[in-house]
Amino acid sequence: MKLKSFLAAGLVSVSALAMSTAAMAEDKTVRIVGFGASSGVVGIFGQNSSAAMSAAFEKINAEGGVTLADGSKAQIVTEYYDDRCNAEEGISVLRRIATTDALIAIGPTCSNVAEPLFGILQAKVDDSGDTGLQFPVFTDVAIKGGLAGISEWVFRNTPSEAKMYDDLFAWIRATHPDLKTIYGGVEEDFAHSRFTWYEVMKKAAEQHGFEVVGEAQWLLSDTNFSNQARGMRREEPDIVAISAHPFTTCGMLREMARQKIQPKVLVGLTSSSSLETLSGCAAEAQGLTIPTSFAPVNDDARSAAEAVVAKGGQMDLHSASAWENAMILRDVINAAGIEGTPESLDADRRKIRDGLSTLTEAQGLLGVNQRLPDGEAVKPYVFVHAKDAGWEVLHDPGS
Amino acid sequence: MDFYFGLLQIFGVHTLLGLSAYVVLLTGQVSMAQAGFYAIGAYAAGACTAMFGMHILPAVLIAGLLTAVVACVVGFPALRVKGLMLVVATLAFGEMVRLFFFNLTWQVERGGEMVGPNGAEGFRSIRYFPENGWEIWQVTGFIWIIVAVIMVALWWVDRTRAGAVLRAVGHDETAAQSIGLNLTAVKVGAMTAGGFIAGIGGGIYAHTVTHIEHGVFGVLLATFAIAYPILGGLGSIFGTLIAVLFIQGFLIEGLRFMGDWRSLLFGALIVLAMNLRPTGLLGEHAPRLSQLFGRKTNDHDKSLELKEAE
Repeated sequence: MKLKSFLAAGLVSVSALAMSTAAMAEDKTVRIVGFGASSGVVGIFGQNSSAAMSAAFEKINAEGGVTLADGSKAQIVTEYYDDRCNAEEGISVLRRIATTDALIAIGPTCSNVAEPLFGILQAKVDDSGDTGLQFPVFTDVAIKGGLAGISEWVFRNTPSEAKMYDDLFAWIRATHPDLKTIYGGVEEDFAHSRFTWYEVMKKAAEQHGFEVVGEAQWLLSDTNFSNQARGMRREEPDIVAISAHPFTTCGMLREMARQKIQPKVLVGLTSSSSLETLSGCAAEAQGLTIPTSFAPVNDDARSAAEAVVAKGGQMDLHSASAWENAMILRDVINAAGIEGTPESLDADRRKIRDGLSTLTEAQGLLGVNQRLPDGEAVKPYVFVHAKDAGWEVLHDPGS
Repeated sequence: MDFYFGLLQIFGVHTLLGLSAYVVLLTGQVSMAQAGFYAIGAYAAGACTAMFGMHILPAVLIAGLLTAVVACVVGFPALRVKGLMLVVATLAFGEMVRLFFFNLTWQVERGGEMVGPNGAEGFRSIRYFPENGWEIWQVTGFIWIIVAVIMVALWWVDRTRAGAVLRAVGHDETAAQSIGLNLTAVKVGAMTAGGFIAGIGGGIYAHTVTHIEHGVFGVLLATFAIAYPILGGLGSIFGTLIAVLFIQGFLIEGLRFMGDWRSLLFGALIVLAMNLRPTGLLGEHAPRLSQLFGRKTNDHDKSLELKEAE
C-alpha cells in the first residue's frame, strides 16, 4: 500500500513537473519598453505611440510571439513610461528601464530629450574607455535630424525630413511655376520645429528657387499670433510654410484666416499631419500640405490604423513608426537568436543592437524603409493635404 | 543600480540649486535669477571641459566663480528694489540670460567635430564623465562630496555671526540697519554666494545630462529653485534637502506610474504640504539634536522661546 502510494505520488509529481515545464515554455516572455511624453502639451504623441506599440505587440503575440535561440516561442510584454518631455526625467526613465529585464527601449517623443539621452549612452560600441550606458534605443518619434550619430546604441525609424521637404518644394516648383516667394513661420523654442525650418524647409525652398521674404517666430506656449500674421500679410507671400506643432499651427492658421491671409500654397510641419490639427482647426487648415511617412493608403496601413484606434490612439507618422519599430524588432529578435534568460540579458541586448546595425532594409507600412549605416532611416512618404476635415493623399512621389 | 545612482545625481544638483536660493532667501530677498545663474554655470563648465579639455574640478570651480561675479554685479541694482519688484527684476534677468544662450553660437573644432553652444540647438557632447572612464557611482560620489562640502559650509556659516547677520537682515531690514549692519554688503554677499552655488550646480548638471539648451533654464526651473527652500523651511539647510527629496524623489519619480494624474497631484500635494506645514517641512527653526532625541530643552532655550513669544 505504501509502495503504491509512493508510486502514485511520484507519478503525479512527474506529471505536474512536465506540465509546469510545458507551461513555463509557453509563458516565456521578453520585455520591450516604450517611453516618451504621454502627459503635458505634447502628451498626445506619447499616448499614440503607446497605443501603437501595444497594438503591434498584441498582433505579434497573437501570431505566436517571437522565436528564441532554442526554438521556443516567447510573448512580448510591454509598458510605457512618461518622461513629460523633460531631459532629466527622460534620462532617469532610461536608466530605470536599463535596470529591468527590458531588451530594448522604444522612444523618446521629444528631440530635446533624445539629444541628452543619447549623450549618456556609450558613443562607440566596444570602446572600453567610454563608460556610457550600453543599452539599445530604437526611436520612433523624436524626428530632429542627425541624432542617431550621437551613439552607436541608437537607431531611429523616423523619416528623413530633408529628403521629404526637398521633394515637396521640387514638386511645388514643378506644379506651380508661377510662385516666387515664401514666408516662414517657426515655433522657435521647440528643437524639432526650429531645426526643420532653418535647416530643412528654408534651405529646400531656396534651393528650388523660392525667395524667402520673411520669417515669423513664436513659442510653443504662445496663444496670440497677430503680430506675426501682420508681418506675413505685409509681404503677401505666394507660399507660407509653418514649422510648428498642431497647437500653435492652429493658432497661427486661425489668425491668418482672421487677417485674410490667403497664400497660394500652405506648407506644414510633418508632426502636424495628425488628427490634432484637424480637430483644432479643420476649416482654417484646408489645403495645408505636408509630407508624411504614414497615410492609410494600403491594406496593411489601414488595418494597423484600425488596431491603433481600437487601443485608444491615432495612427500618424509618429505612431506608425512605433508600430513599425515593433515589427522590425520582431524580425531582429527572430534572426538574432536571443536566449531570453536573466543570465543572457546583456548578450541579448547586444545581439539586438548588432542585428539593428546590420539591417539595410526593413518593411514599413508604406513600403520598404532603407536603414542607413549611422542608424537613421529613409522611409517612403506621400504628400497629404487637409480636405473636408480629413487628410487626403495629394501626391505619391513613389508612384 | 544605475537608476538609483542617476536619481542621487538629480537630488544632488537640485539640492545645490535649492541651496543657492536658500542663501538669498535668508536675507529676505526672493530671487528668480537662480535659473539664470544655473545656466551660466552650465554653459561655462561645459565650455571648459568640452571645448577646452579641462578637468571637471577646475571647470566647475571656474563656473562657480564666474557666476558669482555675475551675481555680484546683478546684486547691486537689485538692491534698489525689493519684494515683488525684486521678483520681477530677477525674473527679467533670468529670461535675459536664457535668451542670451538662445542666441549664443560659439563652436570650436575638437577631434574633427564642432563643439560648443549652437544657439537654440543647444550645447551637445558635454561628455566629460563617460569619455574619461568615470563610472556612474564615481560621478554620484563626486557630486555628493561637493554637495556635502557646500552644506557643511552653509551649516557652519549659519552658526556664526555671519549667519545671524543674514537672518537679521531677512527678519527686519530697518532694525538690522539701526544696529549698524551694512545692508548692501549683506545682500550682495548673499546674492554672490547664491550665484556661486548655482554656478557649481549648473556646471555639474551640464555634465550629467551631456546636452543643455536654453529651454531648460526657464521660469519653471527658477520657481523650483525658490520652492525647495520655501517648502523645506528656512530653519536649516536640511529643509532644502528634504524638499528636494519630496519633490524629485516622491512627486516626480515616485508618482511616475500615475501618468496624467501625476501633474495634478503634484500641485495638490505641494499645496497640502504648505497648508499642513506653513513654515516649511522642517519649519523656521532648525531642529536641534536634543529635540530629535527627545531630550528636554534647557532653561536657556526656554527663556529664548519665551522672549520670542513676547
